[in-house]
Amino acid sequence: MSILLAILDFPATKWAILVLGMVMPLASLLTWAERRQSAMMQDRLGPNRANIGPIKLKGILHFVADAVKMIFKEDFIPANVHRGLFALAPVLALAPVLIAFAIIPFGPTIMPHHLTTVVNTYQQSVDPGAFIYSDAIRLQVFAVDFGLIFYFAVLTLANYGGTIAGWASYNKWALLGGLRSSSQMMSYEVAMGLALMGAFLVTGSLEPGAIVAGGASASMSPANPVNWLWLWQPVGLVLFFTAAIAETKRAPFDIPEGEPEIIGYFVEYSGIRWGMFFLAEFIEIVFISAVIATVFFGGYQFPFLDPDGFRFGGSIDPVTHLSSGSFIPLAHGLVVLLQIAAFGGKTILLAMFQLFVRWTLPRFRADQLMNLGWKLLLPLALANIMVTALIKLLFM
Amino acid sequence: MSASHDDHAADDHHEGPKVLSVSTTHPRVRTIAVVRPTAQEANFLAATAKGLAITLKHFARNFFLPMKKAEDRAKAGAPDDAKWRNEIETVQYPEEKVVYPERFRGLHRLMLRDDGAVRCVACMCCPTACPAHCITIVPEESDSNSIEKRPAIFEIDELRCIACGLCVEACPCDAIRMDTGDHAKPVEDRAMAIETKESMMARGLRSIAVQGGEGPNWRDGGGGHDPGH
Repeated sequence: MSILLAILDFPATKWAILVLGMVMPLASLLTWAERRQSAMMQDRLGPNRANIGPIKLKGILHFVADAVKMIFKEDFIPANVHRGLFALAPVLALAPVLIAFAIIPFGPTIMPHHLTTVVNTYQQSVDPGAFIYSDAIRLQVFAVDFGLIFYFAVLTLANYGGTIAGWASYNKWALLGGLRSSSQMMSYEVAMGLALMGAFLVTGSLEPGAIVAGGASASMSPANPVNWLWLWQPVGLVLFFTAAIAETKRAPFDIPEGEPEIIGYFVEYSGIRWGMFFLAEFIEIVFISAVIATVFFGGYQFPFLDPDGFRFGGSIDPVTHLSSGSFIPLAHGLVVLLQIAAFGGKTILLAMFQLFVRWTLPRFRADQLMNLGWKLLLPLALANIMVTALIKLLFM
Repeated sequence: MSASHDDHAADDHHEGPKVLSVSTTHPRVRTIAVVRPTAQEANFLAATAKGLAITLKHFARNFFLPMKKAEDRAKAGAPDDAKWRNEIETVQYPEEKVVYPERFRGLHRLMLRDDGAVRCVACMCCPTACPAHCITIVPEESDSNSIEKRPAIFEIDELRCIACGLCVEACPCDAIRMDTGDHAKPVEDRAMAIETKESMMARGLRSIAVQGGEGPNWRDGGGGHDPGH
């Protein structure tokens, strides 16, 4: 039993469960959801025909059809491409996004011997070594103090995928797309990192797990929506969201792709190699949603759900462990399920919002994009840091 | 000449930029007022929020409200209960079809006589008029004493047909029509796209046009139809 639990607690296992059980299905479903949602926004119906016999599910199976089609399509490699880099580029685009998921806390710490009983936080703080708290599984693969820095570092690598694809394709349009993707990345990475600095100042941590577990203020429960950073860092949220959409290289910032003019860095790709670029794009959407949910919307925290149950209009005293307000106790297992569902729900809603943005706004021109990045987002992000630091210095 | 013409045109042009001053030495060099976008126009955020509100409204309405009725979708204009219906215009072909306009030129059909025989007298007007040469008629002797010929074979290659309707115009006895309101079906084999006499007669109706050939002959002083008057 404890060996099984140890295997479950192994980082590779958690990563596989997260990626195969949550990220991949969500990204695949997004390819269908995007088409359906955009159709509904444009007074159309969207794809609703794919079926296995009588099973139709409103066309959800379209993503299966897409995958089957892409796998069995001819993998065409044009003459004169750099074969090694051509094969490497899709992997370089896909792998970093999947790796970056390691820092996301997608659920609370599970205590396997405690699933059916209500957690007593006082007991836990007094005797953390008791058997009932042992074999705990932390639902975060890679919990390190430099978590968000790690994410920035790794996701920047994903950009090499596009650039190398453009270089290796021996095609002027693909090369233009690759160059555009590099220049776009440069105008956004800075503002993106600085936009999160405000959140770092408020919470005092760059570890996503700690941000979720702590919230903005120690005087409130981290499960209280008021304690989530969206209320404390609204400017940072808008700036980060804008920069993050630019990072995913989708409209209104799809300049590297530029379908009406250069088609993009993957113009020479076909079949499943193109599918990997496509999937990487959607996984990036899921990842950006997960980061925003974690940093700004309380991650896996269900509103008003403390580790021992729902607590409305009050909080638990950190010293005496006496709670105020009305309290509905809930078994640990149920709390875990609700919190994982909360994380999934927040991620899905934020991904849907990204689709809304993508299907509402027209594409920026390259110069407008640079203006926005360097002249608006960057100064605003710096001002946000200054103001946050001043407020923290004066009032907190 | 051309310069003065240009100046004249510039003076007449009311929507051009506002001229602040004109150079005395070079009259065509002038200082104009440049219109910069206002802060409100240059602000992406307000416009973004407005656009998002519009798309969100459409999505919410189309997502939560039931579909319009098929017959409402097929015709123009909002249905009576439009307020509680979504705005999706998609017609789910082939389950539901939009009715073609009355004068739509669709699949051919061969009209029938009162006794159910084919109305065509194999006069060869339609293959003569056909610009696409898609009509093949092989005439044969008719059994009837009063009708000289009838088609033994009457075939139309729908892949060649350009749906111009000239065959219908050319027909002197209302034997061929294109008013089925249906279009040529997709086929898997070119041979299947050839309409035969039998298939076109199966779609045919009894024509209400006066039927020539049968009945008492006008030469005998009978009441037959006289096309000359």
